[in-house]
Amino acid sequence: MDIKEIKAVIDLMRKNSLTEFEYEKDGTKIRIRRGPDGEPQVFASSPSLIPTQTVLPIPAGLPIAAVTPSPTPAPAAPQEKLPSINSPMVGTFYASPAPDAPPYVEVGTVVNAETVVCIIEAMKVMNEIKAEMSGTITEIMAENGKPVEFGKPLFRIKPA
Amino acid sequence: MFDKILIANRGEIALRVIRACKDLGIRTLAVYSEPDHDSLHVQAADEAICIGPGPSPQSYLKIDRIISAAEVGDVDAIHPGYGFLSESAHFAEVCQSCNIRFIGPSPESIRRMGDKSLARENARKAGVPIPPGSDGPVQTEQEAIKAAKKIGYPVMIKAVAGGGGKGMRPAHNDVSLVKGFLAARMEAEKAFGNPEVYLEKFIEDPHHIEFQILGDKRGKIVHLGERDCSIQRRHQKLLEEAPSPLIDNDLRKKMGRAAVKLAEAVHYENAGTMEFLVDGNGNYYFLEMNTRIQVEHPVTEEVYGIDLVKEQIKIAAGERIPSEFENLRPQRHAIEFRINAEDPATDFRPCPGTVSLYYPPGGIGIRMDSHLYGGYSIPPFYDSMIGKLIAVGPDRAAAIARMQRALDETIIRGVKTTIPLGQRIVRDQDFRRGKYSTHFLERFFEKKVQSAS
Repeated sequence: MDIKEIKAVIDLMRKNSLTEFEYEKDGTKIRIRRGPDGEPQVFASSPSLIPTQTVLPIPAGLPIAAVTPSPTPAPAAPQEKLPSINSPMVGTFYASPAPDAPPYVEVGTVVNAETVVCIIEAMKVMNEIKAEMSGTITEIMAENGKPVEFGKPLFRIKPA
Repeated sequence: MFDKILIANRGEIALRVIRACKDLGIRTLAVYSEPDHDSLHVQAADEAICIGPGPSPQSYLKIDRIISAAEVGDVDAIHPGYGFLSESAHFAEVCQSCNIRFIGPSPESIRRMGDKSLARENARKAGVPIPPGSDGPVQTEQEAIKAAKKIGYPVMIKAVAGGGGKGMRPAHNDVSLVKGFLAARMEAEKAFGNPEVYLEKFIEDPHHIEFQILGDKRGKIVHLGERDCSIQRRHQKLLEEAPSPLIDNDLRKKMGRAAVKLAEAVHYENAGTMEFLVDGNGNYYFLEMNTRIQVEHPVTEEVYGIDLVKEQIKIAAGERIPSEFENLRPQRHAIEFRINAEDPATDFRPCPGTVSLYYPPGGIGIRMDSHLYGGYSIPPFYDSMIGKLIAVGPDRAAAIARMQRALDETIIRGVKTTIPLGQRIVRDQDFRRGKYSTHFLERFFEKKVQSAS
């Protein structure tokens, strides 16, 4: 059902004082109920009617200082209030000790202050970065193999 | 020519270097501290990397982070500006070993001429006059009296570990010398942890005159005339002009030759400045060398029509100094006034804060080198200079008139600045007649106090 058709249905309902309308076809279900003030409420369960959250691709040549959006769509407020482990240096971020090795941490990994969470390579030296706090990793905020600047958030962490 | 340059500095000079790079078609990478995130130099650069929190030792002086940024940004060269790491031989060496061109002299030159006593020694060897002084520190009153006799009164007692104008006191005879010697040693011990003092001839009513030097990789050295920087407050320059009202063509030729000779003797490369003290009788004495581009470089640029920062980059990229740069004669007159975010009413206390309104001056012969913009917040971590106002004219009177107009026109609201002081200086009769020495501002403030009471 598209918007034109839904509007037509709502119109019909109003004209005919109908309070509820339900329609189902090929996996798409729509229920329209006129609320107590007479205004229609539309409930839809078709995926095509739920706005999708697009992840903005990073255009080539964007300045390093530009805000890089997190690889996963940022959910609402609660995540943003969690502290982050920020980069203490300038260099290249690596999630694993070696290209074919598993990453140091993943979402859900429990860490303590001494846990190595990643490597930042600077001037050919691989620096192991420690969590410096205890908690659970909730988000990976840096991209493997990409440069990071001082202060760049690397991981979102839920403190213990 | 370089493809990409990292600017290891901030504020107006970072903007200045970025502009020269843009003129040359070179891409720019800015580094910045967290409070400088919204700074104009960051916005003007093609790319920017944060290198630390506010305090300089954790950001603009962090060699490892700057070099990392240079590698991550894949730059060919680094321009260090002035201050910060510009005169760090160690930083120049690190750049060299990482195959990044340091836009400035070699680490050896920085060491040889950056050390005050080594520089004096080099000057002496090159036959450049230095202020007569004791050969090294004087340990006892007797030694002091003997040295003073040789030098001739008046003398200046200076702390070996001093600098920036600190730890100096004059003596006009044996009595004041002995008193001063003991007091100076005590002060030096307290202030610098080293009580040693030496003696130097006290040059009365001197002008501080410096010569701009350029040297290329082939060993060619030229001078681009002098700048008069006598108007200083506590040994900090406030106003500079070129040419100097004190110097005639003969003295310019003599001093220029001396400056070039000394630079040649140390195989100097890139831009540098030789500082001299000149007395009222045309006697000049070498003081020290600055192995970097200077704050007041614009007055030389405006007088000779040369982009000094561009020349620095070209020299570092291996280009020759054009032969036209030799034996240039000043055709115009330029004055620069440093605008500081300081309150003249409370002994020039720095006033960081937010600039609510900024209207820069304009019109013919006016140049403003500044990183200010309306809404900009001046961070408290760095020096208080927020801009340089340069006025150029066909002669000194025209330059002064334009400077007066421009200072009157400039609006900076939200912070206190030294503009009112500049307005009074350009209206001062002694200044307008070109009659001033390094004591000008002292006397200027005294005059004000007298007229107020």
